[in-house]
Amino acid sequence: MTDQLTTDPTKPAQRIGAGSLTVPLIPWVLAAALLMVLPFIFTANSAITIMNQMAITIIFALAYNMLLGQGGMLSFGHAVYAGVGGFACVHIMNMDDFFAQIPLPLLPIFGGLMGMGLATIVGAFSTRKAGTVFAMISLGVGELIAACSVIIVAFFGGEEGISGDRTYGMPFFGVEFLQQIEVYYLIAAWLLISAALMYLYSRTPLGRMANAVRDNPERAEFLGYSARWVRFFSFVASGFFAGVAGALFAINYEILTEENLNTTQSGLILLATFLGGVGFFFGPILGAIVFTLVQTVLSLQTELWAFYLGIVFVVTVMFFPGGLAGLLMMHVPAMRLGKLGRLGVPYLKTLGSGAIGCLGAAGLIEMTFHLRHASAGDHSMTLFWITFDSHTILPWIVAIAVTFVGLGIARRTAPALAEAWNEANTPDGAPR
Amino acid sequence: MTAALELDGLKKSFGKTEIIRGVDLSIGKGERHAIIGPNGAGKSTLFNLITGRFPQSEGHIRMHGQDLAGKAPFQINRMGLSRSFQITNIFPKMSVFENVRCSLLWSMGYRYNFWSMVGRSRALTEGTDRILDQINLTARRDLPAGVLSYAEQRALEIGITIAGGADVIMLDEPTAGMSHSETDYIVELIRAVTEGKTLIMVEHDMGVVFGLADQISVLVYGEIIATGTPEAVRANPKVQEAYLGEAMEVH
Repeated sequence: MTDQLTTDPTKPAQRIGAGSLTVPLIPWVLAAALLMVLPFIFTANSAITIMNQMAITIIFALAYNMLLGQGGMLSFGHAVYAGVGGFACVHIMNMDDFFAQIPLPLLPIFGGLMGMGLATIVGAFSTRKAGTVFAMISLGVGELIAACSVIIVAFFGGEEGISGDRTYGMPFFGVEFLQQIEVYYLIAAWLLISAALMYLYSRTPLGRMANAVRDNPERAEFLGYSARWVRFFSFVASGFFAGVAGALFAINYEILTEENLNTTQSGLILLATFLGGVGFFFGPILGAIVFTLVQTVLSLQTELWAFYLGIVFVVTVMFFPGGLAGLLMMHVPAMRLGKLGRLGVPYLKTLGSGAIGCLGAAGLIEMTFHLRHASAGDHSMTLFWITFDSHTILPWIVAIAVTFVGLGIARRTAPALAEAWNEANTPDGAPR
Repeated sequence: MTAALELDGLKKSFGKTEIIRGVDLSIGKGERHAIIGPNGAGKSTLFNLITGRFPQSEGHIRMHGQDLAGKAPFQINRMGLSRSFQITNIFPKMSVFENVRCSLLWSMGYRYNFWSMVGRSRALTEGTDRILDQINLTARRDLPAGVLSYAEQRALEIGITIAGGADVIMLDEPTAGMSHSETDYIVELIRAVTEGKTLIMVEHDMGVVFGLADQISVLVYGEIIATGTPEAVRANPKVQEAYLGEAMEVH
């Protein structure tokens, strides 16, 4: 088919290519290569642990975005499908005879089918309407199943959850997945497969109609499509990939608890996805990466990480509804005009000083927190690699000064940045 | 020969208010039928009943002899009826090309297909480009539909409406809010793209109605007071009295 198109002289190939959403291969090849070499760059065990968690979160966030970004369905209970998929996989791990006949890399399929099965049941009634009704049902079902985890102890294991051992599976070409690095490659492979499948899904007739139903369900109905069925199929597909993410979690951690499917978890994936940006396919990937870094790296630095994350989330919702991906894509027009470089200096001035101001403010918050919550007599705290006495006045003066000077400069230079932005987005010679 | 569309004792009430008070109407195949009437006569409600947006309170709607009672809009659409809306109703965030392509998917048999790539189908791409050419929006192909001018959006909506190959086309005030030149353009467009199809439209602009329709029905307070050729309707004293005299003066 493709050969015919390119060799047909009357129909240049680019005509088919333009606007017809052919699948670009290069980003995928790069992603695969990156996943291959990452463990050689970050060799520490802790780094591999973080990357595993990141990859799992990426799959989950992409699955979530099939609903939120692609289908316009806001779910407050999507962790349920990942969680149930994960629980099912731990149970499979504990079925000695059965598990001994399945290679571990195939286990996520079972997790996916479990998530998909549950999504089929719930989706049958929850996808009737989008919007508030859907959101409320998702919240209710999420709470309901989270509550089940302490009631149906046989499946969910009560408060302590259930654990298994991934190494009892059938060896996969001699690999028994005893080491973290082997698990990394298993998860990376699944990440690549899942992301590719979800990307391809968005290019199918059903995937396109999911967008159409999101934008205008009534119009879609008058084009022959039942908005409800389109939503249902998106929901089921999303449930499958959420289940895959849950299964990978089970493989990686070998334990699942109520925490994996409660509403907190559902909220976090919403947060990560939105932070990354729901409008672009790669948005949730960015979101999951940043979110995991905040959750793992920043949480080692400060107890208040969730507080900062909350602020960032609110700022994103209010000022950058396109998320990180939206912010990046904003620069495409300037890049096309070849004027992206002109933003460098203004950015450094405004955003650099703004960032310093924010760090100052964070310092103030940390010091206040230390003052209020450190044990009595413990006056010494370390902030930005400097150890000082939080009960003396000097650090406070410094932090306040940094905050005000930083934010002040940012504010002063903001008009110049806006000017530079307009300039960079105007073609040369065009009337302003 | 069965009529393309047949309304039989059709009634619709919202609460105690009867909006459609018994409409009998038969529209033949290939006919261009305009429904006119004063504001609040129930023209849009009639449209919404036929297309399954609202359920009727009483009576029957038959398309090609088949009863439409209890059918959802998407089912009615699949039977070969397509409509446009009084307020532009497109997919504003999607490109013009995608708007049209989405409206081709069902009729080209893709249904809820999730195993083939839309970009790969040459028939789909060419079919879409053909429609874009018909509605003269080829130059706007890759723009988001929401940024088009009003007249272009109306043209796009007509494109979406006819793309699926429905043989009964219903247009709800296709020229509402347009300038004279835009109106002329849209009328020509409608004439061209509905060639050989059954066209039912609600329209206020008498120039459009008398220029385009070969049958006219006058709806006043939920009842059809006259149906016939433009000349017969124009000459009908009841119509003159109820509506047309005043409407004709304006135009």
